[in-house]
Amino acid sequence: MKPARTRSSGRWDRLLNSESASGWLFVSPAVIIIGLFGVAPIVWSVVLSFQSNDLVTPGTWVGFANYAALFKDPMFAASVRRTIIYTLLFVPIVTVLALALAVALDRRLRGMRFYRTAVFAPVVTSTVATAIMFNWLLDPDFGIVNAVLVKFGLPAQGFFQSPSQALYCIVVMTVWGWLGFAVIIFLAALQGVPRELMEAAAIDGATRWRAFRRVQLPMLGPATLFLVIWLSINALQLFDEIYVTTRGGPLQATTVVVYYLYVQAFQLFEAGYATAIAYILFLGILVLTIVQLLIGRRFVHYRS
Amino acid sequence: MKRVRTSSFVLMVLMLVAVGVLAAACGSGGGGSSPGTSASPGGSGTVVLWHGDIDVERAALDELSAQYNAQDPAWKIDMVFSGNSDYALQKLLTAMAGGKAPDIMYQYGSSLANLARSPKIVNMGDLIAKTPSYDWNDFFDAARLACTVDGKVRAVPSLVDNLCLVYNKKLFDAAGVSYPTASWTWTDFRDAAKKLTNASTKQYGWAYVADGSEDTVWRYLATLWQAGGDLLNADNTKAAFDSPAGLKSMQLLYDMAVVDKSVYLDQGTGNYLSLFNSGKIAMLWTGPWDMSTINKDVQYGVEILPADVTHASIAGPDAWVMVDNGPDRVQGAWDFLQWFTSAKTQMEWALKTGNLPIRKSQTKMPAYKLYLAKFPYAATFVANLDNVTKARPNIPAYPKISIALGQAVQGVLLGKLQPQQALDQASQQVDAILAAPGQ
Repeated sequence: MKPARTRSSGRWDRLLNSESASGWLFVSPAVIIIGLFGVAPIVWSVVLSFQSNDLVTPGTWVGFANYAALFKDPMFAASVRRTIIYTLLFVPIVTVLALALAVALDRRLRGMRFYRTAVFAPVVTSTVATAIMFNWLLDPDFGIVNAVLVKFGLPAQGFFQSPSQALYCIVVMTVWGWLGFAVIIFLAALQGVPRELMEAAAIDGATRWRAFRRVQLPMLGPATLFLVIWLSINALQLFDEIYVTTRGGPLQATTVVVYYLYVQAFQLFEAGYATAIAYILFLGILVLTIVQLLIGRRFVHYRS
Repeated sequence: MKRVRTSSFVLMVLMLVAVGVLAAACGSGGGGSSPGTSASPGGSGTVVLWHGDIDVERAALDELSAQYNAQDPAWKIDMVFSGNSDYALQKLLTAMAGGKAPDIMYQYGSSLANLARSPKIVNMGDLIAKTPSYDWNDFFDAARLACTVDGKVRAVPSLVDNLCLVYNKKLFDAAGVSYPTASWTWTDFRDAAKKLTNASTKQYGWAYVADGSEDTVWRYLATLWQAGGDLLNADNTKAAFDSPAGLKSMQLLYDMAVVDKSVYLDQGTGNYLSLFNSGKIAMLWTGPWDMSTINKDVQYGVEILPADVTHASIAGPDAWVMVDNGPDRVQGAWDFLQWFTSAKTQMEWALKTGNLPIRKSQTKMPAYKLYLAKFPYAATFVANLDNVTKARPNIPAYPKISIALGQAVQGVLLGKLQPQQALDQASQQVDAILAAPGQ
């Protein structure tokens, strides 16, 4: 018997009963949580950046004054400069070192599992534990590093207490902490390179280096692009390690953008100014990521 | 007729219910603690106290709170450890912004000026006025000053301390230097530090926290006041430390740290205490909070600070602030604080923890002798409270002033700034800070 046509069989009905409707209902709890904890603070930050607000008393609207002040703030400019220096050091060093390590670890030697674990251990070590360790290692008077240097007749260094060396010590500390992460990514990518390709290259008479350069490296493109983008974003947002070691010092030598933002918001009660900094940082990272993706699209080879 | 399949219909209903429950939970969770509503006047329940104490102090807090709760008060007390007190200000600001602030919280005195701007911080002056038996004037001057902002009392004292000279007797004996006395001058101090410094054994005569934070600033302020100087002018509108006294005190730090190299520069990590315990540092300018961490095998002595013009010291009183979560909770929290900051309970607290008495009447109680017997160093610290005649200005701009001065002092200690240069730089910044609108 033919079913009767009813009015309810219209666009609304189809929409409500479609698969996408139930799909949306399934994800709605997650969406709501992300909305509350992710989107809401982001929106509130934007609102804050147009206010002068100390988080204790109600704020006053100042329009674009915070952003205008940022462009004239020499301390902000200095923090941007330091952040860029840090990023330009951190990202290439980690990427290149991690690649070398991954190639070295991509073999079947005895104890390889131990070596891989050892490389990854710093990544899972808490930032505070790492900081305490490095604080003592690099202590100018009682640290092992200076003890070794002096033993070899070299002058003792200031490390975290030297305004000229502190930022580079942070680079070393964070490279140590992040290397394992990049190594694991590269290892996984290396293991995704089909063995037949390497064998074909060997048969064709390619040296180990040429095989690496011409076969493996191009296939690592996607992983490299991911790492460069990911590491850049993290480097530009550097905060934790600074907070637990030098606290932006000595003499502000390690005051990077996010640390400056933290001081503004929570020590100087200028939350509006701080959120303006956060948004400038966000825009900077966004632009950089887009540029990196565009360059990546041009040069990275994805297997179909 | 088109029909929704039963199974997906049921699923959709379940999802809607889940979403509804979630939204309701989030909604009520963010609404803040609701005041107790019950038949009895004033309500009943539990008031929450946040603190940053560990080890001995924490155990003492737990014991005392159990004692209080055993009295069966209308509002019981719940002591919650909320992390290091260094971050207490940020924690409270966050909690207040989120509507879930505790009823009582331990805060550094220096945070009060900014916290007091919020109307949610209870005006203790009103509560104290209604409770004459509280005897506000019984508290030490330094403590009362720290709790007062703009002439209003916005907190009650939780801790009183001050800086004294703590020294390692064995190192003094080994170097043949006579122990510090109550009539020591800066010259005696500097000479002793020089004699107690040995570059080859990495021994230092003095340690200074040089991370540019308030820890750096307040020790400098002690030297500034010892030289007879002042931080700001009388109405807190201009810097007053760019003066001969200010220069003398900066010069002392420069001479000792850069010229004599007799100062270990701690980077805010607290390493100085471990090194003091290992016998690598001879003298510290520190307070009672460090005393319980000194190893039993270190023979130490405590003396008042050396003088230039005066033996001035500086106190860092801390406070209990109360947050207004409703009149019933305020009353419940105030009942607890009255009990906790009474002379009797504070004497018990002092006996358990070695913390200094916060009320003058405590020094007249018979238990005070027991306290001094148990904590012999306390006598010097309590007597030194007489040398604390000036306090840091309790104004909202102080954190900014602290940063400016901290950078200057750190620069001098690291040898990157000459003393007069540092003073010029800092006083310019401080004048600009105080001249800014809204300060």
